[in-house]
Amino acid sequence: MEATAERTVEQKYSFDVVRWFTVMAVVYLVVGAAVGVYIAAELAWPFLNFDSPYISFGRLRPVHTNAVIFAFGGCTLMATAFYTVQRTCGVRLWSDKLAWFTFWGWNAVIVLAVVTLPLGLTQSKEYAELEWPIDILIAVVWLAFTINFIMTIANRKTSHIYVSNWFFLGMMVMIVYLHVVNSLSIPVGLFKSYSLFSGVQDAMIQWWWGHNAVGFYLTAGFLGIMYYFVPKQANRPIYSYRLSVIHFWALMFGYVWLGAHHLQYTALPDWTGSLGAAVSIAMIIPSWGGAVNGMMTLSGAWDKLRTDYVLRFLIIALAFYAMSTFEGPVMSLKTVNALSHYTDWTIGHVHSGALGWVAGISIGAIYHLMTRLWHTEMWSEKLVNVHFWTATIGTVIYVVAMWVSGIMQGLMWRAYDEYGTLAYTFVESVAAMHPYYAMRAVGGGIFLLGAIIMLFNILMTVRKSATEGSLRAARSAPIPAAA
Amino acid sequence: MLEYFQTDWAAMTATDWVGTILTVVIFILMVVAYFQVFRPKNRDSLESRKHIPFDDDHQDIGDNDGGK
Repeated sequence: MEATAERTVEQKYSFDVVRWFTVMAVVYLVVGAAVGVYIAAELAWPFLNFDSPYISFGRLRPVHTNAVIFAFGGCTLMATAFYTVQRTCGVRLWSDKLAWFTFWGWNAVIVLAVVTLPLGLTQSKEYAELEWPIDILIAVVWLAFTINFIMTIANRKTSHIYVSNWFFLGMMVMIVYLHVVNSLSIPVGLFKSYSLFSGVQDAMIQWWWGHNAVGFYLTAGFLGIMYYFVPKQANRPIYSYRLSVIHFWALMFGYVWLGAHHLQYTALPDWTGSLGAAVSIAMIIPSWGGAVNGMMTLSGAWDKLRTDYVLRFLIIALAFYAMSTFEGPVMSLKTVNALSHYTDWTIGHVHSGALGWVAGISIGAIYHLMTRLWHTEMWSEKLVNVHFWTATIGTVIYVVAMWVSGIMQGLMWRAYDEYGTLAYTFVESVAAMHPYYAMRAVGGGIFLLGAIIMLFNILMTVRKSATEGSLRAARSAPIPAAA
Repeated sequence: MLEYFQTDWAAMTATDWVGTILTVVIFILMVVAYFQVFRPKNRDSLESRKHIPFDDDHQDIGDNDGGK
């Protein structure tokens, strides 16, 4: 019966595009992490700049962020959204052509980013560096992705839309809105434009986008992954569907207010920062509700964690999600922000979310997808386990290094002597960071090693499937009449 | 405390009003969402949705009732 189901699934749904997105996600994970490790090493050992502007930290840093967020994260979201919407709605994708347009369009955006950013072509807006023609391409491709998703839901055979689709859809709608407004600019040439906003409005729009990219893209989208793949991998339904509904609406209503907490102690009106911080604290409730909901899905079956390496990735990701959604609101409070802002603590916080939560849940989902999409077991279970430990240890080393260096930076910058003058020069604080920057590069390197192991294991699994002919068989085998 | 919550209503701009009304409406909608979700009457119908990811396995073998 299982073999029959596999044949039916393969021929019923549109999985080719999902397979391509899945493999490309892992390729981009390696590329993005490699660039990240290189620029981390540049900060520790600046000679690695080699006096070339093209590989300087300022130009490679957006290559790193775009590669991990939009290339790796984007391909993961598109693979999982296209997979889950078909499986939870019981229908094929609305349009295969539009799905392939999304695949090639998104990869074209990534290639253009890799070419233009090292050349210094940038709008200088964080997480939205790409110049206006690429911004237009992003909007078109994202809309194609969204329309295909919505139309597939519209064609569904089930009466209810499963909650993972709500999170994916919330992300899609909000990202259209955020990306278009934040990218409004006046072009003065093919590769140069100026933002439509200026001064504090520009800052506010930038962080309205910036934090909501975190909230709707890196949180809501990946929660869509969590609500489908944790129950499927654990083979148990989500702990509480009611909690997932509250999680969704609280996230949708609450998250949009948070951006101003990035601008404490700036020219922005004081109350906007207070509002951002107050809503940030309130967001702990739904975030922890969601994390507990995911973890409690294993209630009564915790032993699965001993043997199921993929489930380990998913559950440790939820632990990081809970941790970073507590840390973030605390950092938004003005008293804490006075110490943490502009320091490496922020970098540590971001990476506990990015490496621990986003990468963790993505990697778990990708391993789950590999066995379903190629109709075979992983080439090496042991390597999945090795990857789990390298990813976890690398993340912890990275985050701890940044916590320590960040808090030290904050304390050094605001230390006064008995005469009221600064106790340390800025250069002294930079010199004090060196061991932690080296430690960060090592932590990132260990994480990168895990990503390379994953890519190797995945390519070998694809090869194994080809050798066994399992995908070919699922594609072409006749389905028995009884099924 | 009264002084803390004092507002100069005359100074409110159109943008301020839009923001205020939106905030109040969203707050009310959230209260409605909490009420509906945690109402005992809705418990079974909502919780029955949690099996959807597993229903497709039944659909895959031709049972379009989700195995029921």
